Amino acid sequence: MSATPARVPVEERLFSLVLALLATEAGLTKNEILSTVQGYRQRYSAGGDNANLERQFERDKDDIRDLGVPLETIESPGHAGNNQVLRYRIPRGAYELPQDVTFSAEETALLGLAAMVWREGSLSAESRRAVLKLRGLGLVAEEPVIDYSPRLRVRDAAFEPLRLALEKNAVVRFAYLKPGEAEARIRVVAPLALVQHQGRWHLHALEPDTGDTKTFLLRRIVSPVTTTGAISPAPTGDQAAAALAELDRVWNSNTAEVEVEPDSDAAVRLGKRRGTEAARPGVLRLHYSDLNIVADELAGYGPEVLVLGPPELRNAVIARLGTIAEAHGDREENRG
Amino acid sequence: MAERQPPLQAQDKLAFLLSLVPFLIDHERIGVQEAADHFGVPAQQVRDAVELIAVSGIPGETGQYQHGDLFDLAWDDFEENDQIVLTHLVAIDDAPRFSGREAAALIAGLQYLSALPEIEDRGAIDSLAAKLARGASAQPSQVGVEGTQSDETLAMARRSVADGVQMEFDYVTSAGGSERRRVDPLRIESVDADWYLRAWCHLREAVRTFRLDRISNPMVTTEPISFHAADVQLPETLFEGSDSDLAVEIDIAPAAMPLIADYVAEGAEPVEVGGLLRTTIRVSHYHGLKRLASRLPGVVTVVGPPEARRSVAEWAEAAAARYS
Repeated sequence: MSATPARVPVEERLFSLVLALLATEAGLTKNEILSTVQGYRQRYSAGGDNANLERQFERDKDDIRDLGVPLETIESPGHAGNNQVLRYRIPRGAYELPQDVTFSAEETALLGLAAMVWREGSLSAESRRAVLKLRGLGLVAEEPVIDYSPRLRVRDAAFEPLRLALEKNAVVRFAYLKPGEAEARIRVVAPLALVQHQGRWHLHALEPDTGDTKTFLLRRIVSPVTTTGAISPAPTGDQAAAALAELDRVWNSNTAEVEVEPDSDAAVRLGKRRGTEAARPGVLRLHYSDLNIVADELAGYGPEVLVLGPPELRNAVIARLGTIAEAHGDREENRG
Repeated sequence: MAERQPPLQAQDKLAFLLSLVPFLIDHERIGVQEAADHFGVPAQQVRDAVELIAVSGIPGETGQYQHGDLFDLAWDDFEENDQIVLTHLVAIDDAPRFSGREAAALIAGLQYLSALPEIEDRGAIDSLAAKLARGASAQPSQVGVEGTQSDETLAMARRSVADGVQMEFDYVTSAGGSERRRVDPLRIESVDADWYLRAWCHLREAVRTFRLDRISNPMVTTEPISFHAADVQLPETLFEGSDSDLAVEIDIAPAAMPLIADYVAEGAEPVEVGGLLRTTIRVSHYHGLKRLASRLPGVVTVVGPPEARRSVAEWAEAAAARYS
């Protein structure tokens, strides 16, 4: 190229780096990259200080790996342990989609719908990129038969830091407020999976101190999530499936009996709740995973519901109704 | 559905370049517009990307980006006919793998949709998830979503939408009564574990959102629908404001704000009052409000107007009276 532009756009530098590292079998040293690859070479000073450029290269490596490009580092033969002569490359086999991974038009349509459920937060960006890659395969989705608009929400502030920690197997620390306890307690755990059950996000995690696995409700995490710096061994097996199975087990084992007003909102909706059975006419036996959550829900139905048992749930609902009535009671004395 | 195009970051542009190259290799000659339509991006984005690809390559043996080290393009065809023909290829032969996160996002999305009536067997989802995991460059991160329960109402609503026929059902209102409704089903929507039918309601003569779990005795009719999704603007938000909405002032614990985000009045600026946030929400009537406030005991308190406070208090008192 005769006229080199003074400023090389970022995407051109990143693209050139990927091409250079894909084309090399033996790998390139950092110096070779900085001095020859488009976007770096224009700013490279032979024999001078390239500290800024080196930092740029570190950030670029992260950006490229973020996209799922397997940029690897290998030691130069005969120079094990010497960081200066590390070599970088992108092995073709790990970069390219295996030949036998193909998708039918029907599967492509389904994947498009699956991508659409994430419409906010970082998972929506990940989904968009996944769809881009699917389109790069030349796949065309079968026209959807009907209009669906499914959506999963991530509104818990703790979700994103936990997801990042999960990827790095990083141990995290946060304050967790258990209902009924006056103060939040600090928890230190190794995340195993993030799962949504009955519309709520849960963290399934290992408590290194006790070796127990525990499940935390994200909305009860009341502090920012921070990493402790410790790394825990990568979990094996399908932790998300295990976490969902455990939540299902709890859901199935907890039952409550409630009397419902015929044809009321409570009768219809609680009757359609997962696993609900009619215990006898006008009385439903329903399942729940968390006493405090179901108590809130039942309080919302007001006089349409009478909780028969268990007693802890009955008392929890009575206490809530008292709180609501008091908070909304007459304020005559306060009026001017 | 109309997609909003966010401004592209350099990383997104790189992802596009890495997906576009193998696509162009597979399509020896393709029009710019056709490629843009396939990817669902503006034609100019494709032109910019092709121009960049055409001058990119590898440093090569000389480290000087010699001619043979670069991609090349049939420039005349590109500039005069808007056709893309790559005449020399470098470094890239095939499509990239998914990242672990990308695969995880799609797998969790599939799990969530696993009970949709179109998905006949669970095995299809599992094998598709396994294929995604095999096509990823790292193990997909552990994010899981409980599948929706398959449900007769959902299946019927889906059939009505697909066949373009009206549906009839009993619908409980938040006031407590139940009404027989006849509707033109337009779209099935969901938020997390809750599923909704967006439909033209013949009784209200307006587009309404129906919770599937409030529907009973559903029936698919043979009557064709009179309103179509294309005839009406279906907003992105589930609940539309209306001029007859009532404004209610509430105090809410800051951490609980996301729980009521759908109800917050447009332009309402929360103000801090003694550690709580005071804001204005909109409700269609107090029957809905009393249920909403009672589901969040100790978290939400209605400040005013007085009738709104009274409706919540009476609801809770009537409930408490059942236990005495």
